[in-house]
Amino acid sequence: MNNNDPLLDLLLEFFDLPADTRPEDIRQQLVPSWDSLAMVQLITELEGKFLVTFDIDEIQRLRSYDEIRDALSRRASLKAPLVS
Amino acid sequence: MRHFPDVQKNAVVQALESASLSKIRRALRLLDELDREQRGPQLDVELLSTYNLEPVLPVLQLAMSCLPSVACPRLAPLESIESHIAQAAQRPAAAVFDARMIIWRIEEVLPEALYPFSHGFPERLAASVDQLLERIERVVALHRRNSPGTPLFLSTVPLPVHLANPVSAAQHCAGPYASVSRVNQKVYEVAKRGGGVHVLDLASWAAFEGETHADAMVDFLARQPLSAKGQVGFALFIARCLRSLIIPRHKVLAIDLDNTLWGGVVGEDGVNGLNFGHEFPGNVHLRIQRELLELKHRGVLLVLLSKNNEADARQAFESLPGMILKWEDFAVRKVNWNHKHENLRHAARVLGLGTDSIAFLDDSDYEREQMHQVMPEVLILNDSSDPLQTLRALWETDAFDSLIVTAEDRGRHRDYTLREAREVEGHKDDLEVFLKSLEMEATIDEVGPANIERVVTMLGKTNQFNLTTHRHSRGHVETMLASPGSIALALRLRDKFGDQGIIAVLLAVRGDNAATLVIDSFLVSCRALGRGVEDALWAAMLRRAERQSIQRLEAEYIPTAKNSIVAGLYNRLGLQRISHNSGSTCYLLEPVTFVESPPWIALKNENQ
Repeated sequence: MNNNDPLLDLLLEFFDLPADTRPEDIRQQLVPSWDSLAMVQLITELEGKFLVTFDIDEIQRLRSYDEIRDALSRRASLKAPLVS
Repeated sequence: MRHFPDVQKNAVVQALESASLSKIRRALRLLDELDREQRGPQLDVELLSTYNLEPVLPVLQLAMSCLPSVACPRLAPLESIESHIAQAAQRPAAAVFDARMIIWRIEEVLPEALYPFSHGFPERLAASVDQLLERIERVVALHRRNSPGTPLFLSTVPLPVHLANPVSAAQHCAGPYASVSRVNQKVYEVAKRGGGVHVLDLASWAAFEGETHADAMVDFLARQPLSAKGQVGFALFIARCLRSLIIPRHKVLAIDLDNTLWGGVVGEDGVNGLNFGHEFPGNVHLRIQRELLELKHRGVLLVLLSKNNEADARQAFESLPGMILKWEDFAVRKVNWNHKHENLRHAARVLGLGTDSIAFLDDSDYEREQMHQVMPEVLILNDSSDPLQTLRALWETDAFDSLIVTAEDRGRHRDYTLREAREVEGHKDDLEVFLKSLEMEATIDEVGPANIERVVTMLGKTNQFNLTTHRHSRGHVETMLASPGSIALALRLRDKFGDQGIIAVLLAVRGDNAATLVIDSFLVSCRALGRGVEDALWAAMLRRAERQSIQRLEAEYIPTAKNSIVAGLYNRLGLQRISHNSGSTCYLLEPVTFVESPPWIALKNENQ
């Protein structure tokens, strides 16, 4: 696990991906199990883990590690830092 | 869950506290590693819902697994309640499950209630509610027709969380809130008729849980209305409702006296120095007593376990003002200086119950710890000396949950008090003289619609005097009743203390040869042991077998951890042992010979 990147850890565990998966490869098009059901569960997971609430515009764009990280960074800038 | 190893227990706690899907999956994987005995019985549940429960399935499976059970929640296609139930008969493999749940909410089944003024409030809205009430009746009838014998849990509908102008919604008897009340009242009424229909009271659950159980975003996104926290609460609530189907409730609560039923120590502080009454902190103890009295009236036997001089304890019961519990409310009282575990073992023997059916409350860390070490099978309800924590333990425990409180439950205390009296009296007098003095009358009826519910309950719950422990469903029993030549009898007992209800059951079906009768189930409620009712019921069965020209009778004893009490029964009744292995012992009676019924039990409707 990468203790410096809790988002990466969460996505690797959530989608059951190999530990050496590169963040840029964590995208909906490349992860077969990332379907609409997983999307709903992922949002709940992210909101619970990072204590944030996404708005509709953000949720429509949460389709990759990068996009999720950006959305969390925008939220986290108002609260605690994302990277521990 | 308390019997899970620490690894699994910790994983489950973390998963439920965090509501994290990853942790839930991990906990499920770890539970998969347990052996079958640790995992509990299979529990297949079919879920029919008007909203999307698919995202909730993992946490639901986890909550059900913790009962414990090998949980298999199965989701029917969305919004297919009637068509899915109607097709159940054509899908025999899919139709076999332990319970069906119908979960609906106002947003789908009565959307007009959210916008009453757009839907002809009040007349047209009232008409829409009428239609929904008819739909509820139709769905229940359809279930009964297509899945007879399968328990049905019908959900109430929560008040909508996302509703504009709640003040207005409450102002009219045909408004949104009143409409929801009418729907839920119908659900309660349908369940009150019995027949295996139970209430899944999601309305009450949602009210307890508060607004945070809902998440509008995921509702719009996936038609799944629950927040992460709400999903966990929802799953735990559903699992708790299902629990009674597979886990017998605890039958006995053993309670400490000082600093539990009242504040202070009667032997040291005297009756006048005790805290009890309507002022703090005595009001906490008063509420504890109210909870215990309610449990007693629901059929939980109370045992008093106290290290005290009995005279001191009795004096407090007699003279402490406002006492809710009376000395006689305890089925067994053990007030002495012996170890509590010794007293509890003796109380269990007197009551004829296993020690694993006992829960224990005590303010003393020492007593709880000793009980845990010496009798780990006893459920310890509280974990603190604080009376408020004791009260919370009584509010929160699921140990005494049951879906139905029967007349037998309500009369249980009296029956067991009699048992204790007999224990004392039995040493004094000849047993038969004592049994005659009970003035027992048995009514032996064929099993049918009037008594099948109690018979199925007994099949599901009776552990000790139960020769085969077949846990038949209502549907299975009905099939047996319909088979030609079957003999199914239920014995109702009345004695000088009153009606004891149905306390013995015998089910028998024809064997391969038409002149052969096979005993399928033979059981007696543990509170009626030692009275000879089994002999009366056996004699009644033999009389019927004789009339049907039965030549040969086959019976079986299947040993379990709890039924050793009947290991020698068939031998005593004159049957011949014909085979034996670790799983069962088979017996034969050929030719079938009539035996006398015990003379101390009068038979009301039998031709002797």
